[in-house]
Amino acid sequence: MPILSSILLVPILTLCLLLLMPARAVSAIRWLCALSGLAASALSLKLFFAYDSLAGGLQFSEHVSWVEGVGISYHVAADGFGTVLILLNSLVYFTGVLTMWDLGHRVKEYFVFMVLLVIGVYGVFMSQDLFFLFFFYEIAVVPMYPLILVWGSGNKDYAAMKLMVFLLAGSALLFPGLLAIYHEAGMQTFDMVALATHSFDAEFQVFCYPFIYLGFGVLAGMFPFHGWSPTGHVAAPSAVSMLHAGVLMKLGAFGVLAVGMRLLPAGAVYWAPTFSVLAAIGIIYGAFVAMRQSDFKFVIGFSSVSHMGVVLLGLNLATLGKAGADALNGAVFQMFAHGVMTALFFSTVGFIYDRAHSKTLADFGGLGSQMPRAVSLFIIAGLCGAGLPGLASFWPELLVFLAALETYPIIGVAIIGGLVLTAVYILRVFALAFYGPPNPRWEGLRTQDMRGMQLLPRAILVAVLVFFGFYPNAMLNTINQTTAALLGRF
Amino acid sequence: MDTLTLALLATLSPLPAFFVALVLLNNRPSMAQAVAIFGTALALLGSVGLLLQGPTEPLRFAWFSSGQIHLQFGFLLDGMSLMFGVAVALITLCVMIYSLGYMAADPGRARYFAMLSLFAWAMLSFVYAVDLLQSFIFWELVGLASFFLIGFWYEKPEASAAARKAFLMTRIGDVGLFIGILMILPLTNNFDLPALLDPDTGLVKLAGPALSTITLLIFMGIVGKSAQFPLHTWLPDAMEGPTPVSALLHSATMVAAGVYLMARLHPLFMAAPDTLHIVLAVAAFTALLSATIAMVATDIKKVLAYSSISQLGFMLMGLAAGSLFAGVFHLITHAVFKALLFLCSGVYIHHFATNDMREIGRRGGRSLGATTLGLAIGAGALAGLPPLAGFFSKEEIFAALGHEGSTLFYIAALIAAFLTAYYTARMFFLIALPDEVVKEHHDDSHHGSPQPIVMLAPIALLAIGAVGLGFFGAAIAAQLGLVPAHHEIASMLPAVGVVILGMALAYFDYGRTAAPRRGFIAAVPALHALFVNKWYIDEFYRAVFVRLNDALSALFFAIESRFFDDGFDQVGHSAIRAGSGASRLQNGWVQFYAGATMFFVGLAALYIGLR
Repeated sequence: MPILSSILLVPILTLCLLLLMPARAVSAIRWLCALSGLAASALSLKLFFAYDSLAGGLQFSEHVSWVEGVGISYHVAADGFGTVLILLNSLVYFTGVLTMWDLGHRVKEYFVFMVLLVIGVYGVFMSQDLFFLFFFYEIAVVPMYPLILVWGSGNKDYAAMKLMVFLLAGSALLFPGLLAIYHEAGMQTFDMVALATHSFDAEFQVFCYPFIYLGFGVLAGMFPFHGWSPTGHVAAPSAVSMLHAGVLMKLGAFGVLAVGMRLLPAGAVYWAPTFSVLAAIGIIYGAFVAMRQSDFKFVIGFSSVSHMGVVLLGLNLATLGKAGADALNGAVFQMFAHGVMTALFFSTVGFIYDRAHSKTLADFGGLGSQMPRAVSLFIIAGLCGAGLPGLASFWPELLVFLAALETYPIIGVAIIGGLVLTAVYILRVFALAFYGPPNPRWEGLRTQDMRGMQLLPRAILVAVLVFFGFYPNAMLNTINQTTAALLGRF
Repeated sequence: MDTLTLALLATLSPLPAFFVALVLLNNRPSMAQAVAIFGTALALLGSVGLLLQGPTEPLRFAWFSSGQIHLQFGFLLDGMSLMFGVAVALITLCVMIYSLGYMAADPGRARYFAMLSLFAWAMLSFVYAVDLLQSFIFWELVGLASFFLIGFWYEKPEASAAARKAFLMTRIGDVGLFIGILMILPLTNNFDLPALLDPDTGLVKLAGPALSTITLLIFMGIVGKSAQFPLHTWLPDAMEGPTPVSALLHSATMVAAGVYLMARLHPLFMAAPDTLHIVLAVAAFTALLSATIAMVATDIKKVLAYSSISQLGFMLMGLAAGSLFAGVFHLITHAVFKALLFLCSGVYIHHFATNDMREIGRRGGRSLGATTLGLAIGAGALAGLPPLAGFFSKEEIFAALGHEGSTLFYIAALIAAFLTAYYTARMFFLIALPDEVVKEHHDDSHHGSPQPIVMLAPIALLAIGAVGLGFFGAAIAAQLGLVPAHHEIASMLPAVGVVILGMALAYFDYGRTAAPRRGFIAAVPALHALFVNKWYIDEFYRAVFVRLNDALSALFFAIESRFFDDGFDQVGHSAIRAGSGASRLQNGWVQFYAGATMFFVGLAALYIGLR
């Protein structure tokens, strides 16, 4: 069974079925999506275990020629990185559907767009063809607009527009970059495996790499082009925030990895110092800005800027110095860990928001005694964000810090010091919203704490964070060989 | 049972108890209590079993591989960990049993017992860790458990603030520790403790500035965890937690972790004399600083908290003066008598609902006879009164300081010991010998007995330890693989002298019938104010660091909203303006189009003509 196509086919079939279903069959729509998420998760787990981590490299390759004249083919395959990120996407898809279980407004349309987004993300993580990669990338990005505009909250028109402008500006950089790669290679093929065998002219690489890095980097929330991300997080409905921060931002980092660093290694090395500094600024900057936010989701939004800075820093450090393997492992591990963590964050904040209709920190206070379960889950996500050992984020941060200390000691010391800043803004949220005397305004919430099925998606996410927190080799074994192979290009 | 089973039993058994008590039995506190106590009892069994088996080879398992780095986790089963593991499990179990009485009326006690289990699991795993990174992980988890327990009554703003402060202050130290640990990795590619400490192939060979830097950074973490100046301010605030938690936090867990880490890495520190000087200076200063604060505090828990800071300084001094035995010995005796003191203070606080020693005394604190006896034993041990446990272990520290020839630090330690004897005796006299006793009628029907057996039994057990543990010095040294030095009576005289002097002065100030009941230090109002206000350190931090952080975050926030957000909006607005400006050209006015056409044709003609 071609496993990658099967994974891709699950949401595609779901989408077709959804389109055929009557909009009033709300319950059937929910169950269909949940089952689809479950099936995709099961297949992704199978992929995760079936991937031969000792052999490494691209596996489960499927190749069908499509437009032979220009060399476009449907070519999917998964390396260690893809395997891990596909698993992440399935996880966020499944838990995201469960998070939106109580949605009542235009349910069918909502899930249509959400499944479309999921298809795009899967496509990017498995495509080995530049054309399809870009195609799926756009499929993943565009549904964000209606999703925020229709189901969002707050200043949603502005947020949706801002997001679209930034991401399309990124695509506008990306598209010429990709075409330039195609043209420069002169191989009449979009196949990345083939393109990777071509050694591009060093000057071309230096010229072309920023197009790819910045184009994808915008989606990864890179400083200073991060502005769309917190605004978008805040306005989006819970599960969209989950997908958005959890997997969509990883598309950007994955693009840098799979296209930029793989095809243009000399360009990556040339630009790495500059982009390392920007990423390090992003880490510190995001933490400081998060400290002053008055809205739950803005805090998480800026924490994402900070945490994605760790990913980008890791990617850049991978091209430099002898701790490259650690940096790259750290970056990929952080993509996964941050994805699960933010999914938990938004899933939980969404739960609280749906009941309290407020996301303003100062409105709460003492919520811990009123909704102990929801608050505990948020605290777990927060501690993960603060890099607490025993939760998944600790390992990637350790690896990236290690590489930073070896390559740029000043940056290393600064970002490790940033751990204190992270703790400050996370603890501030706890103190403002959860601790202290309970606010009588929310007494009604006592009976509405999470129970039964509502706990399921969050419990899954917590279990994943704890599992990888205590057994990092489950992740590292899968990606080690791929990391080594990619580093061989520098 | 084989060693692995015992080691797993000793470290892991509180973990399922934590999960079950927190998640499954949250609404059934009595069952949660039972599960938690069962878990820790199993851990105690395991650790005793390990101790009886004696030191063996470490157990290791593959755990983490990335690039050149291959880490193994496992259990380090040498004399130090075996001994301290039993101490941790035993004291945790005492505290749990005591809490059955102390927390009997608290609705959240399922969570309380769950967090104690988390604490036990993290601390035991830390103690037995074979890998430095593994130690760090559980070090952080010990901090996490403290955070939850200090903030256990999180609805109280003070408790929430204290928990936050504890987390942040220790985290500042941990940044140093983390950097220090990460600096080791490129040199060795692993963190295996026996390998790092190997005298021939380990890090010791490195010596020089690199080792000094690494040990100094590691010491930063110890300063945070073991509450040394300048990061000590979290520990007194941590009193906001329930009193049994303080007993645990101050004895065998949390603060002990710092000293234990230094003891573990003792050979590395010994190879870095520059670091040792700094450790000595910091520890001596801390011991003095906190002793001065303790001598004017009126809250019994604050006195005990500052005394912990001071005694931790003593332990570090002992270690830094080169005596592993002195540091570890005092760590263990202090764990026992400090837990005893906190548990005794908890009885008073529970009964009289106040922390003020003067009020406890006036309202008849001494009528709780068994507790007051426990307090007397604990106070004597803390003061260093022979032949109680504290005397022997403190004596080792003095001997080490004397051997080192560091007269300055020896004198500093003597002064600190004098102050310790003074404030400890003061505490006892304020409670046991008040100027007047106000009889009050207690309605015992709803309160229950003030000294239930579950609270007295742990006190009795610890009191026995505080009396007898001092005589086991030789056995403890043997566990560490050391031979204790024999001390001359004459060399003990100064230390015994200052203790007696301090206690006598306290009796003069607070104990005798016509005592003025104000400390001798009140004669110097400036110093008195300095001590009462804790040397204004909190105020200084608030004025400088908190404000700096606020200013920086305000600055970055302004950049984000003014520059990035508004900048983006400006770009958008100018695009719209440019569009509407351009759209004016399409005004549907035929004459305008014709005019514009002729204008541009004319312009083109002119250009061609002139060329």
